[in-house]
Amino acid sequence: MREALRRISAIASKEFIHIRRDPRIMIAVLVMPTIQLLLFAYAISFDVSDVPTVLLDGDRTTASREYLAAYEQSDFFNVVGHVESQKAIDDAFDRSSARIAVMVRPGFGEALARGEKASVAVLVDGSEPNSAQLGQAYATALNQALGRELTFEYLERQAIDPTRAGGITPFIRTWYNPERRSADFLVPGLMVVVIMIVTVQQTAVTLVKEKEQGTFEQIIVSPIRRGELMLGKVSPWVLLGVIDMLVVTLVAIFLFGVPLRGDVLTLGVGTFLFVLCSLGIGLLVSARASSVEVANLVALLISFLPGFMLSGFAFPLHSIPRFLQVVSYAFPGRYMVTITRTVFLKGGSFSILWPEIGALALYAVVSLTLASVLYSRRPD
Amino acid sequence: MSIKHIRLLIWKEFLQLRRDRLLLPLIFIGPIMQLIMFGYVVGSDVTNIPTAIVDQDMTMTSRALADSFVNTGYFTILERPATESDVQTLMDKNRVQVALLIPPGLEADLARGEQVPVEIIVDGADSKTASVASGYAAQVFADFNQKRIEATGLVPDAPGIDARVRVLFNPTLRSVNAMIPGLVATILLISMGVVMSQAIVRERERGTLEQMFVTPITRGEYLLGKIAPYILLAIIQVSVVMVVGIFWFRVPFHGTLLVIGLGLLLFLFTVIGQSMFISMISRTRQQAQQATMFILIPTMVLSGFIFPLESMPPEIVPVTYFIPLRYALVILRTSFMKGAGLEALWPQFAAMAVFSALILGLALSRFQKRLSD
Amino acid sequence: MTDALDMAIDAKGLAHRFGSSVLAVDDVSFAVGAGEIFGLVGPDGAGKSTLIRMLSTVLRPSEGDADIFGASVLHKPAAVKRRIGYMSQRFSLYPDLTVTENLSFFASLRGVPRREIRPRSARLLEFAGLTEFANRQAQFLSGGMKQKLALAVTLIHEPDLLFLDEPTTGVDPVSRREFWRIIAGLHRRGITVFVATPYMDEAERCTHVAFMDGGRILFRDTPTGLKARVPGRLLEVCTKDQRKARALLGPYPWALSVTVLGEVVRLIVALDGPSELEIQALLSSAGVVTQCVRPVRVDMEATFAFLAEEARLDREVAS
Repeated sequence: MREALRRISAIASKEFIHIRRDPRIMIAVLVMPTIQLLLFAYAISFDVSDVPTVLLDGDRTTASREYLAAYEQSDFFNVVGHVESQKAIDDAFDRSSARIAVMVRPGFGEALARGEKASVAVLVDGSEPNSAQLGQAYATALNQALGRELTFEYLERQAIDPTRAGGITPFIRTWYNPERRSADFLVPGLMVVVIMIVTVQQTAVTLVKEKEQGTFEQIIVSPIRRGELMLGKVSPWVLLGVIDMLVVTLVAIFLFGVPLRGDVLTLGVGTFLFVLCSLGIGLLVSARASSVEVANLVALLISFLPGFMLSGFAFPLHSIPRFLQVVSYAFPGRYMVTITRTVFLKGGSFSILWPEIGALALYAVVSLTLASVLYSRRPD
Repeated sequence: MSIKHIRLLIWKEFLQLRRDRLLLPLIFIGPIMQLIMFGYVVGSDVTNIPTAIVDQDMTMTSRALADSFVNTGYFTILERPATESDVQTLMDKNRVQVALLIPPGLEADLARGEQVPVEIIVDGADSKTASVASGYAAQVFADFNQKRIEATGLVPDAPGIDARVRVLFNPTLRSVNAMIPGLVATILLISMGVVMSQAIVRERERGTLEQMFVTPITRGEYLLGKIAPYILLAIIQVSVVMVVGIFWFRVPFHGTLLVIGLGLLLFLFTVIGQSMFISMISRTRQQAQQATMFILIPTMVLSGFIFPLESMPPEIVPVTYFIPLRYALVILRTSFMKGAGLEALWPQFAAMAVFSALILGLALSRFQKRLSD
Repeated sequence: MTDALDMAIDAKGLAHRFGSSVLAVDDVSFAVGAGEIFGLVGPDGAGKSTLIRMLSTVLRPSEGDADIFGASVLHKPAAVKRRIGYMSQRFSLYPDLTVTENLSFFASLRGVPRREIRPRSARLLEFAGLTEFANRQAQFLSGGMKQKLALAVTLIHEPDLLFLDEPTTGVDPVSRREFWRIIAGLHRRGITVFVATPYMDEAERCTHVAFMDGGRILFRDTPTGLKARVPGRLLEVCTKDQRKARALLGPYPWALSVTVLGEVVRLIVALDGPSELEIQALLSSAGVVTQCVRPVRVDMEATFAFLAEEARLDREVAS
């Protein structure tokens, strides 16, 4: 037992020397996640606003001007111009200089004056579905509100009380993140994917490199067992991963003002297990990769595609096809994103998060064991 | 320039690619994985929101209201707890993200013509779902009220607005339709960017690059021979993505191959320049990989590929003009969906031409210098 | 049982297959006594590396087994590992670790007692003449120094048996001599050395030599014993027209082997063959001018040239 510990620590301290000798690794590990976090947190947002809009007033009456003014006052629509013809709208769409066009037909004012429904066309460029969807919703809502105003004005003039029908007043309450700040939502999830990308990348090459260097054969003829080799390889990275998480957490709290409401110990345990899981994935890649290039490519694909996309950090997992939901359980990101979000925003602790913690613990054991089993002893 | 030399180099490169039993398959598995992820995950619209309904009224009206939530198709009712306090636990445990609280006496109050407050609780920890869910919910309530007013027959011929909102180019608003054209370009970034720079750095690591230059092979020949195989692979990958996109994901294609081809070619130049530059500044494959990641992640995030440019804060937007992928995306998406031609897209083409000249020039000068060291 | 104890290596029908068909090592059996310097010679691709890697537990034999100091490489690899050191053909140390760091890493891995590491490393560095480079990263050492460091690393746990796979390939002649001086020192301390080498002069320094070709061990003897198998005298013919001389002499039945080595043609003449003078006359009558025809001592170079030729002929006859 003591001998085993010595061998593990020999591998671990050797790994530390490698890390120390290559300053780029330190940069990649400690600086990159912070930069990525800043970049993502600032750049990613789901609040679409200022969608470029053009207006075509074919009526030119007070009523039409009043109607179109409502678009100019909205935060969502950013009126970039008034155009004269349908052709100009087509042009603007082709050049992507506008994504929404509002057309008021001649006779708009007259129709309203006659007490009829006045027709309006709103064109939405669907090539950017995200903003298009919201554009559609906003335009519909705006027109509904304006229409209702007109109706109520009319009814009042007719001395009818439309509220007699009774109705529901919705009160929408947002828990945990009342202002719905994107940062509060994104940062806890981002911390996870950023750490995952770094750790998987770094460990993916570590075993293949021993093979390519020829040092692997020296290790084989020593009494070390594969499990010990894995533990030794992993331990410096566990330390770095946890430090990484600490740095990123501090950035989240102090720079982005994300509230930390829950149990820090749960977060710590979760982090430790999660780092182990990502390292397990990295070692699995390394154990089976045929060359450094392959290891790099696979690490990139795994950490960036399923690791990133299926973690639920930005893309809600309940919306994706069922088979991918199943696949998402095979990556530790989804458990950890739940843990960070719940601890940060919901004040969660072990009593709520034990299933996720348990899943991570199991995952860590399985992935590391699998890596050492699959790390074939054959040097070829 | 000797065609024979270049052919020889291409052959050698393919031999090496084939020798690595995993590399070549990966070059094809990569795009497929990307197609699945971007087509199904990023391209999916928020649905199946796990929802709890607390119905304390238990009347026809309350049930009708609950049903209208289900009927939108956006909400999946997972729980029907008895009281509001249960909702807290359900949300803490991430079991539901939306809760609808119907107060007792809803039907009776409505019948008396009162305005009844009904609460919707959304989980702000997932703000994307939260904002979509509250939007859907508001819509449900508005329809509910509208129906009530109509049912009373109080509103005869009042003036109003008959707004027709029409979505052009992508009427079903499927995200996939925008994702796949973009993926055509991003695939190049990963396969060319990663695989090629690794291949060049490996030669430097092993010293075979030096070997190469004591043979009659010139630098130009070497570069062409090194790049050509990857261009061939890129063409295959792009075709795979386009075919799967058009036939499996049913992305409509209105563009011309000329515009798409030209756009991809210019973009390819920037990618080649970029990965050559990376290979010149890296000594090991690991370093090359890190440098690639360093560029790849901001490119993906800031180009508008995953996250719309419109939703970026104005301070960030100027940065996006320095990302070639941004222009490639505009060209591919507008060409795919709108069938726009060169006359509309010339600013993007011009920007890409400038970028490819700059990056490729920088990489080539660096390549010359590096080898003369 | 005493036999087994004195036996360092006892290989029984070892075979190794790459893929399904290529037989790299084909049914090899031999024994190496404790304290020998056992040289394994043979051309590239003969299967030397594969054999060494099976004996040192790196590769699992496809067939057969071998006992190292009585412990089977198949069933008791841990016991084998404790007693052996293995130096692979490629430089297999960490390039970014210093000389000392490499040594102490492998020492800890091999379970050398903690307080022993420092003195032992110092002794080994002294022994290998690397003391002044102790803090240099391995990637910045010269080829010869790298090999000596690799040797030091394989010695750090004081093994009783050392496997060296072409340790001096690509090393300058001075370093090579140096390296063999170290091996001789180890031999004096009773360490068994099993070394694969393509150099015949190195084979000369071994106590026992085996010749391997086509995955089989063809001969195994002491250098003197092997040389004694050459049934003739070795002559050196100095001439400018070496190719013609070889072509002329080759067909004679008494010319057992004719090879060109540098400036001279080396000729093994059967014991009942012609004398030096007769050969000189024979050559000059054919128009080949010779500066000398002189007898030299049979060396390993000539022995293997002869034995390899012999083996080739045997195979041809057999098939």
